[in-house]
Order: sequence, then structure tokens, then C-alpha cells
Amino acid sequence: MRELKISGLDKSYGPARVLRGVDLGLRAGEVHALMGENGAGKSTLIKVLAGIVPADAMRLTVDGAEHRLVTPDDAAALGLRFVHQELNIVPSLSVAENILLSRRTPRRLGFAVDWRAMKQRAGEALARFGATHIDPGARAGSLSTGDRMLTVLAGLVAADDTAPSVFVMDEPTAALTHAEAERLFAVIRELQARGAAILYVSHRMGEVVEIADRVTVLRDGAVALSCAMSQTSKEGIIAAMTGRDVADAYPARQTEPGQGAVLDVRDLAAGPASGVSFTLRPGEIIGLAGLEGSGQSEILRAILGDMPCSGTVRHEGRAGPRSAADAWLSGIAYVPRERRREGLMLSRAISHNVVLPHLSRLSLAGLWSRPRAERAEAEARGREVRLKCESIGQSAGTLSGGNQQKVVFARAIAGAPRLALLDEPTRGVDVGARADIYGMIRTLSGQGTAVVMASSDLPELIGLSDRILILRAGRQAGIVPAQGLGPARLLAMIYGDASVEAAA
Amino acid sequence: MTLASHLRRYGTLLGFAAMVVFFALNLPDTFLTARNLLNVTQQVSMLAVVAFTMTVVMAMGDFDLSVGAMASLAGVVAATLFVAGWPVGLAIAAALGAGVLAGLLNGVLVSVLGILPFVATLGTMTVFGGLAFVVSDGRTIFGRDIPASFSGFARSALEAGDLRIPALTLVAVAVLAVIWVVLEQTPYGRRLYAIGGNIEAARLAGTRVVKLRLLAFCFTGLGAAIAGLMYASRVASANPTQGDGLMLDAIACVFLGMTMSEEGEPRVLGTLLGVLLLGLLDNGLTQMNVDSYIREVLVGTIIILAVASGRLGVFSRR
Amino acid sequence: MNVKSILIGAASMVLATAATAQERVAVITPYLAQPGTQFYIDGFEAAAEGRGWEVNVIDTAGDIAAVISRIEDAVTQNVDAIVINVDPAQVEAGLAMAADAGIPVVGMDAGMSPYVATNVTSNGYAMAAETAAYVVNRLNGQGNVVMFVFDPFPPVQIRGVIADAIFANTPDIEVIARVTPDVQDGGIADSRAQMEALLAANPEPGSISAVWAAWDQPALGALQAVEDAGRAGEGIVIVGMDANPQARDAIAAGGNFEASMAQDFEGIGAAAAEAVARLVSGETITAPVTYVPTRLITSANVAD
Repeated sequence: MRELKISGLDKSYGPARVLRGVDLGLRAGEVHALMGENGAGKSTLIKVLAGIVPADAMRLTVDGAEHRLVTPDDAAALGLRFVHQELNIVPSLSVAENILLSRRTPRRLGFAVDWRAMKQRAGEALARFGATHIDPGARAGSLSTGDRMLTVLAGLVAADDTAPSVFVMDEPTAALTHAEAERLFAVIRELQARGAAILYVSHRMGEVVEIADRVTVLRDGAVALSCAMSQTSKEGIIAAMTGRDVADAYPARQTEPGQGAVLDVRDLAAGPASGVSFTLRPGEIIGLAGLEGSGQSEILRAILGDMPCSGTVRHEGRAGPRSAADAWLSGIAYVPRERRREGLMLSRAISHNVVLPHLSRLSLAGLWSRPRAERAEAEARGREVRLKCESIGQSAGTLSGGNQQKVVFARAIAGAPRLALLDEPTRGVDVGARADIYGMIRTLSGQGTAVVMASSDLPELIGLSDRILILRAGRQAGIVPAQGLGPARLLAMIYGDASVEAAA
Repeated sequence: MTLASHLRRYGTLLGFAAMVVFFALNLPDTFLTARNLLNVTQQVSMLAVVAFTMTVVMAMGDFDLSVGAMASLAGVVAATLFVAGWPVGLAIAAALGAGVLAGLLNGVLVSVLGILPFVATLGTMTVFGGLAFVVSDGRTIFGRDIPASFSGFARSALEAGDLRIPALTLVAVAVLAVIWVVLEQTPYGRRLYAIGGNIEAARLAGTRVVKLRLLAFCFTGLGAAIAGLMYASRVASANPTQGDGLMLDAIACVFLGMTMSEEGEPRVLGTLLGVLLLGLLDNGLTQMNVDSYIREVLVGTIIILAVASGRLGVFSRR
Repeated sequence: MNVKSILIGAASMVLATAATAQERVAVITPYLAQPGTQFYIDGFEAAAEGRGWEVNVIDTAGDIAAVISRIEDAVTQNVDAIVINVDPAQVEAGLAMAADAGIPVVGMDAGMSPYVATNVTSNGYAMAAETAAYVVNRLNGQGNVVMFVFDPFPPVQIRGVIADAIFANTPDIEVIARVTPDVQDGGIADSRAQMEALLAANPEPGSISAVWAAWDQPALGALQAVEDAGRAGEGIVIVGMDANPQARDAIAAGGNFEASMAQDFEGIGAAAAEAVARLVSGETITAPVTYVPTRLITSANVAD
């Protein structure tokens, strides 16, 4: 295969036109990035390619010859392979079994599983990606997310005698650490070198620029931009996605931090992090930077009082909270890292999600709920965070990822907090909602709320923070001003290649 | 809304209405009479109290298998204290206290120690059942050992014109009112539903999960004890297993009620309909001379139909 | 829908039968699953069929409060009579309602109550007298007897009292032990253990002449102990009561277990039907208890 080409793809759900005349060409040996805000039509396009959703109209050619793509079998016959965000592995089975899941198990005597042959073949498949560190006999559930991803990829390759021609990867790095992502990129380059075409879907601008040869941007179901990566830039892509300029991505600070200490942390040790000390003034934003798993989340949880720790935390001059409930009562808001698992009650109404920590305040004497007051509060906060929903009474699970995150933010600002703890506030959020969230963080800080924010998105960290606390090898390496700092230099500080002290 | 989603939401209600119409047509003289209906409310009153308070723990996504055993235990505790010569009021208070303590133990196991509710309450069910045997020596306490003022309560009624509203019905209505207020009108109830929605998220959003769950299990224990005393009063006796059957029926009632709520959550008014459905079914089938085993088959079938109609909506949304 | 067709079928049966104005009788029991109860019901139903009654048998699966509920439903339905197989004291709330509605209630091995016109049952006094007399006669009025009794349960307690009186009335019979076994597991295992201890304490052949048990399980336990101790040949006479299938097997085997008393469960059912017939026709029954004869089972008649 040299080129798989789609043209004139239309798809409507009832009156909603989700895809409008989309053209897409995937060439052998090329990484093709597919970008767009949530709801732009990326997922539907992938479902059409997978043969899960039938297109209303579509012409599909492979090297000029027309093919039909209506069922998942058609997709498989065309050599299309899919890697989804949620990895389809069976945690209780071994790596080898997962890799060879869709194949006939090697047998001895016709019935007994030939474990040795199985491990050997799985090992070979893994070795093709340089993943020799993974033991094919290990339980898949014991692997890190990145290694699971490699296992799935190995499974896709091992499942065929003929090499698959097109890999479709949907947000493959969403749950990976930096190092794991780097390994994945190496694998992608390896696949590319062997002549596979890769359709790469991601929100992360940096990695798209790094690995993609071509980019197609969808906006409102139509192609807004399609060109070689060399002919465009981050700014160009963002402009195509949002229809607006990138200049306002990180809104500038409007007010100066106030005086006094909202939060004083001394020699805090929580999880993998230790020796953490800083003081935070009203309206000040401090960013926590470090490699994935350096203890950023644990520091936030420790300040929240939700995790055992040593050292002292003082909030507004008093001892820090002893539980999350204490924290919310004393004016500390928290936005957790995993919004679906830790943030939201997906089956419950948006309004209930927003007002949950504030129920007592919105009730009569803490004893009698006032649903109307709760609703009004949720609606007001919803407007403030520019939440897009049909009704405040609909369940949170029906919202897109960006809007779900806005619900979590609406909850955080509803109490007019003195301190906000934000863990990966824009994780898995599309560009439009991201800008809204940046605006909210600025507004909060403008109102005098002190903010501690952990983020793995370094430009975001630099763009919003006043100071950045750098965690390296489980210790606080130092605190640097964000002003004038570049992502590359910040990354160098995290790795220890650049001196923090010089900057401070 | 599509037909399927209507069926999902209102299927159980329609089935309920169809059942009432069916019995009304076949038992024209006796079924839809105030006397018969009041009688049914009395018959289901104990089940209702257990089911209402079971709704509290089920709102949190937990459940309590030990309610039947707690009801039995409360009954024999009161009866044993009657035998020991305690005043009626004090013995009742002690039995209710035993229910609260039993609920507290469930709460500690589930909430503080983090044992799965199924496992924890399966264990305590056996423990409480055994305690009921220990307390009563395995005997049925009846006859002169049960004070007339205690057994007379279940037979007393509030006279309102021609109607006699049974005392047991009034107790069930009072419990319904309290649970409705607690679940639907207080921050406490809203927090329980939040825990049911996502316990981790609720905790991180400032909900005192451990304390609230403890309290909820105490509610259920108290409810079970009230039901056990109502039962003992109605049968003017207490034996160590008499409340055991309440547990499965109560869970069934809550499930039936869940099929009637928008988000498939346990709501106490839905539970009430579930209770009345089972009660009217028993009453109507007895009056129509239908074999008592057919009733068991019907109850199971109705629960499955109700839940299946709930699934219909799910399929149509895909 | 299947459920509906069952209900419609049931309903049409009700309507069809109701039209002929038969007597309608509700039989309500929490214990239908127990074997004895099934015999009462069979006897009752057979007698009712002969009279052309429509009988509705309701089982509440052990739930006593549900018995009250079903009595109330039967009263609402305005049946002609109600038969219960449960302690009337526990279901008085329902019985009071039946009395208010003028519906007669007959007990089937239920217990005495002002609300029950008559309770049909076996005569526990007579049964105990018969087995105790059997022992006295077999021993020719002389020997050492072990008794297994259970005084906490009134129907069994009266059996023990009668046996006490008969043994006391025979000068050369000595009761060397009066054992109350632990009945948690049915009574066999603990009775056997107690009997083993007694055998060990009385090693002389002939030092134990007979075992009188107030029901079959202790008799079976004692039999196992005697056989295991190798003293089956001493002629120890064992008697039980109720003649359950295990006891009948033991008696048929011709070993030490010689006799037990059989209640006529079907006869109780039939007699209850007879009582219902009399009440429905307007008669009053003066005897609060109606006894149905019982029968001594020995190897001579065990095969019948």
C-alpha cells in the first residue's frame, strides 16, 4: 500500500451533521496527525474508519482502487489497526496471552497450552519495539500504563502474518509518563520506517509537532487545515482548531499578589516527595513541576489533609486541614487529577456536582436543603465557567471532557476559596475549554485566591504560574520565577541539567 | 422521549396500575375497599419500615443483608426483657438501642475497616442471628410473657370516622416521612446520594464519608429494630428467626423502586411503591385463591420484568 | 405475557367455581414444607373433596406475621371457614378479625385458644402412657430405666410427666437417669453421647434394662450407643415416639428399638374437615380439643 485515501466523507446523527465532506490521505511511512477540539468530529471519523459507524457518503481508495468499509472486518482486511485510550488488555492474564489473544494459542499434544512457544513468540513481538524489558510471563495487570500500551501494540503486530498497513492511535499518550511517551514515539518511528501509515490523534500540541509529518485539523466536522507539518506551526494549528489566535492562550496577570501568607508549608514529605517548603501569598500562583510521579499529586493531597504526611502545613495562620471536609470548610478548594474517577459523580446532576461541598452553606441551618438556592448557585457558577449544557439538571456524565472539567471548576469557585489546589487542571481538555480554564484560574487569582497547581504541560505551568517549584529525585530542588522561563529550560531544570539556583 | 425511554421510566408504574386494575375487576366487592387497602398497609408495615431504611444505605451504593437478623434480634431482646420484668417502655428502648448498636457495628466494618458491605453484613447477619438464639435460648417467647400493652399496640388503631387506621400503618407512615425528609430534604441525604454516585469524588469534595456511612448503617439498624418490634407486637411473640424473611423482600422493594427513578437510584417513594406492589400482590392472589408458590414465581418475574424494562432504555440510547 | 395468562386462568377458575356457591375454606400454615404438615393437608383436602368444598391452601414459608395477613385476606374474601396450623396465640390479631366477621376457625394441631372453635390433635398424654406401659410390661415390672425428656417444650413436657407417673407407680422399676439432651442438631448426636456415658457408668450387663424417649431422635441416639458399645445382646428395650421413618426402619430391623407411637396425621386432617363441616352447618363444638386416636408401632405392625 502506498496511499489510503478517503474523500467526501459525510455523517449525520439525526439533524446534527457531524462530518461534512472530509478528505483524508494516509501515506505509507508517514505520521499523520488528526487534531480538533472535542466535538469537532475526530471520534466519529475514527469510528467510521473502524467500521463501527457507517458513513452516509464516503469514497475510499487504496492505491487508486476503490474499497468498501462498512464493518470491522472490512477495516481489518484493509490493514487498519486501532490503539485506543482505554487499553483493551486483560489484567489477570499474562503479557504473552494478551499479545496472542486473538491468535490460535500454540499447543502441545493438540490441547495443552505450549507456554514456552507462547512466551517466545510474545517476546519476539515485544522485541520488535525494543521492549525487551517486559517479561512475557508477567501478569499484564502488573505493568505500567506505558508497558501496557507496548503490549497492545505488540499484540496488533503479532496478530498478523502480513504487516498491518495503517495504525490509528487515539490519544495514546494521555495516560503515559514522559519516558513512556518517548518510548512510544520511538516505536512509532520504527513502524514508520517499516512503511506503515499512522493516523495520530492527540490534544498535545508539542508531541504532534515532534512526530507528525502531516496534519489535518477538523473544526465543526469539516477540514479546517490539511498540510505538511513543515508548512504550519503550533499557532497555525491552534488558530485552525479554534478559529482564533493563540496570543491569548495564557491570559496575563491583571493584579499583583497581596501581602501576608495564605499557605505556609515547611519541610513537607508526602508520597515520593520530601523537603517541600514554600509560602504562598494571596493571589499568588505556584506551579509544581517534576517528572510524572514525583509527588505533585501527593503534595496537593497532603495540603488538603487527605493523606498522611510529615512536616507542617499552616493555612491562614492555623494548622492545616485534617481532612478534605475540613479543607473545604476552611476555604480550600481542590480540583483532582482524574476528574471521572476522583472528581465527578457522573450519574448525578451537574447542579449536585457543583454544590456538593457547599450543601450546608446553601441550606437552612445545615438541616434543610433549599434546592432552589442550590440550583441558582450552580447556574451562576456554570455561567461563570462558561459551561455548555442543556440544563443544569442533566447528569454530568453526558458532558464532554472539557465541560466536565468546568463542572469541577464551578464547584471549586463556588465557595470563593482562599486557596485552590489544582492537579492537572487541563488534562484531556480541548483547546477551547482550556482557554476558558486559564481565564478562570486568572480570575481566581485576581480575586485574591492563592493557587497551587500541578501540571505536566510545561508551557501551561510557565504561562500561568508566578513561581515554579521544581521537584527532582524526590526532593524540592528549588523555586524559580516563571517570568522569562522557557519550557526547554524548565525541562532541563527538572532533569537536573540546568542549575535551579542560578535562576532563583 | 422515545417509547423505550418511557417504558424504562414508567414500565414498573404501568405494571403496578395494571395489577390494581386486574384485581379490581376480578375482586369487585372486596379489593378496592378502604378496609382492604388499610389492611394491606398494616400487612406491609414491617416490610415497609425495613425497606425504607434499607433505601438509606442503598442510596450510598451499599446494602445491608443483616436487617432481617437485626429485626429478629430486637424482637427477642424486648421479649426477653419483658420476661425479666422490665417495664415495656424500657425494654422497647433497649431493643431499639440494640438495633442501633448492631447498625453501628455494620457501619464500623463497612465504613471504618472498609470491608465490602456484602461480606460484612453477611457476616453480621450470621452473628446477629446467632445472638438472637443466645438471647432467647432458641425458644419462642409468647403467651403471658408478652405484656398486653405491647401486643395490644399492633391491634390498636386510630379511629377516623368509619375508618380504622392501624397503629402499625401509622408507624410505617411516620418512618416514611422521616426517611423522605432525610434523603430528599437535607444536606445529609444529598451527600448520601453523592457517595452513591462516586465515593472517592464525594470524599475529595469535602464529604465526611466515614461518618455519614456509619450514620446511615445506624439508621438501617434502627429501622430493622422498629420493624422487629412491630413484628413481635403483631404476632404477640418473639422467636429468634421471625424477622429473617424481611431482608430479601426489602431489597426487592428497593430494586423495584429504583426502576421507577430517573437515574435508577433508590428513592424512598419508589421503595414505597415497591412495597405496595408486593403487598397488594399477596393480598389479591390470596383472595383469588392462587397457590402461594405462584406468588413467589410472580414476585421474581415482576422484578426481572421491571429491571428488563429499565434496560430497554439503555439499548435504545446506544 | 405469561404472568397475565396465569392470572387470567386463575381468575376464570375462581369465577367459575364461585358461581356454584360452594363452601370456601382457607387453610393457612407457615409450615407446609414440613413433612407432617403435608399429611394433615392431604387428609383435609381428601375429606373436603368428598364434600365438594373449594379449599385454598396458603403457605407463608415460616412467616408468622404473614399468617395473620393471610387470615385477614381470607376474612376480606369472606370465606366460610378458616383452618390454621400455627399457635393461635401468635396470630390472635387475625383470629380476632375472623371472630368479628363470624367466620369459624378450626385448629389443626395448633393449640387452644378462645378464638379457635376446636383444636384437632393427637393425645400426648395417651401416647406417653402407651409407650411407658409397653416398657413396664416388657420388663415385667422390674428393671432400670433411662428417660430422655425435654421439659422446656410443653407438648413434650406432658409426655415426660405421664411416663414419670407410670414408672413411679411400678415399685421395682427404677429411673436411673432423666436426661434432657441438647436439641440443637436434632437431638440424635447429643443423646448418643449421653447414652454412651451412661453405658460406661453402668458396665454390668443388665444394669440398664430400658430406654424411654419422649420422641424418636433420642431413642435413635441411644440405639446407636447401645449397638456401638457391643451391648445390643443384653435385651435393652428402647422406645420412642412419633414413629418417624428412621424409627420405623429401626423397629422393622428387629433390634433394641422396639416401639414408637404413630400419630394419624391424615386422620387429624380428616377430623378437622369434619369439625369444619359441623361448624359451617351451624352446630357448635363444645370440646376445645378434639383428639384423634394414635397407634403403637412395633415390629408386628410396622410394615402396614
